[in-house]
Amino acid sequence: MAYTTFNRNEFDTFAQPMFFGEHVNVARYDQQKHKIFESLIEKQLSFFWRPEEVDLTSDRKDFVDLPDHEKHIFVSNLKYQTLLDSVQGRSPNVALLPVVSLPELETWIETWSFSETIHSRSYTHIVRNIVPNPAAIFDDITKNEYITRRAESVTKYYDSFIHLCNYYIQLGEGTHTVNGETIEVSLHELKRRMYVMMVSVNVLEAIRFYVSFACSFAFAERAKMEGNAKIIKMIARDEALHLTGTQHILQIMARGKDDPEFAIIAQECRQDVIDIFTEAAEQEKEWAAYLFKDGSMIGLNKDILCQYVEYITNQRIGALGFDPIFVTKNNPLPWINAWLNSDNVQVAPQEAEISSYLVGAIDSEVDTNDFGDFDL
Amino acid sequence: MPSPRKAPRLGRRRWGKAKTFHSPAQTELDLPEGQGSSSQIELDLLLPPILVKRRADEPVPIQGELLLPEFQGETPEPTPQIEFEGMQKPIFDIILEDGRQARFQHAHTLLESLESQDIEVHYQCREGYCGSCRTQLLDGDVHYLEEPMAWIDDDEILPCCCIPKSALRIKLQ
Repeated sequence: MAYTTFNRNEFDTFAQPMFFGEHVNVARYDQQKHKIFESLIEKQLSFFWRPEEVDLTSDRKDFVDLPDHEKHIFVSNLKYQTLLDSVQGRSPNVALLPVVSLPELETWIETWSFSETIHSRSYTHIVRNIVPNPAAIFDDITKNEYITRRAESVTKYYDSFIHLCNYYIQLGEGTHTVNGETIEVSLHELKRRMYVMMVSVNVLEAIRFYVSFACSFAFAERAKMEGNAKIIKMIARDEALHLTGTQHILQIMARGKDDPEFAIIAQECRQDVIDIFTEAAEQEKEWAAYLFKDGSMIGLNKDILCQYVEYITNQRIGALGFDPIFVTKNNPLPWINAWLNSDNVQVAPQEAEISSYLVGAIDSEVDTNDFGDFDL
Repeated sequence: MPSPRKAPRLGRRRWGKAKTFHSPAQTELDLPEGQGSSSQIELDLLLPPILVKRRADEPVPIQGELLLPEFQGETPEPTPQIEFEGMQKPIFDIILEDGRQARFQHAHTLLESLESQDIEVHYQCREGYCGSCRTQLLDGDVHYLEEPMAWIDDDEILPCCCIPKSALRIKLQ
């Protein structure tokens, strides 16, 4: 299955599965097997924003005034989010594009990764604004053991899939000897690795980001680091959409809607899914402990944050059709919903860019009042 | 004397628009000393509705303050649509699996209706793309105001972007 950038074969688009079918050729969207991906692309494009739109000058003042343990919370979260978006900005492209078979899905993957690169750029924008030497923060991401430990579990499923997929693209299925090493390539194993990889991506977007989100919003509830919170709000809005994307991919796979083999794999991997979610939740709790090691911040402490991790884990695994893992039923941080809701922060329009301003959107709402002065 | 603390809302009420924000210039209204209540009533009548008086003990709203929804989703429209015969408003009873009851009458979405009747539903985007409000539909039928994007099962609905088409029996998460 050598990769070709423009497949010359003639084939029926509707007979193609999402992955491992014919390679894509014409980027056409008139025939869509799963029209949800087109909707996701449109939504993501309407969300477009640029970090430079948000003014961070007051954040610099706020940051200087923060006590040391709160600086630690803020900077550590920023580092972790930078790591997550660095991974997400490239990995979906590298892993999925070589094997994708539907043009709308291919474009969704590219749109998805692109928006993650905006997130990465916004972290640089934040760091540049709050500290004199940004390198000190970025250099630590690959050195700090708390972050590298989590980088390992974030990337291992991607790397294991990409490793096998490279052999599959070059050599196809079968047993091969490369540099004296025997390599077994089976499509079933490749699909299994893809499924668990998608689950881990889902976990990344659904759970891992939310500890940082909670901290950023807790700062802003006290009117501190508000520019940062405004950026995080837009990142959270994007992530909620990406999450919907991976949930759709996983559910289409699990139902065998276009590739019955994936339905079998989804059955086989049920325990893996639970393990991946549980492992991530435990790691996030450890992270919460690390964040608050020198002291809590007003409105948030380790216990509440851990309960929030449990609550959100239950929610997300429920969306994939699994039973809740933890007993926590209620949201311990209900005020977060108001921040995660697209446009609920009141600002004077002259002071900041309004995020409710959708680029390229038309308000088609017509009220009877609009016809009040209308005569024939 | 009824004091108009909030400016009357004009047009359609929508989520996120129902915010009270007063710039200092609009909230402060210094009355000359020695004026009795009778002249204050006159003043009230003269004031355009946007001017709001703030009592001394009332906190000044902070810039960028997070304002949670405070409007009642189930209050009737100030400008109701013309009613036609054969096109009844969708007024339906909603029964929850745990025994609680509500009635959908005036709200714009099922989620707003439930919230205004003190039934808590998980929510996030309120636009149908995040799936936080996913709810099981046991009985009845709903109409979507916009196509839901989040993944939902065949027997599930997203209350944030639908209204009932019949009486409903639902089970919250």
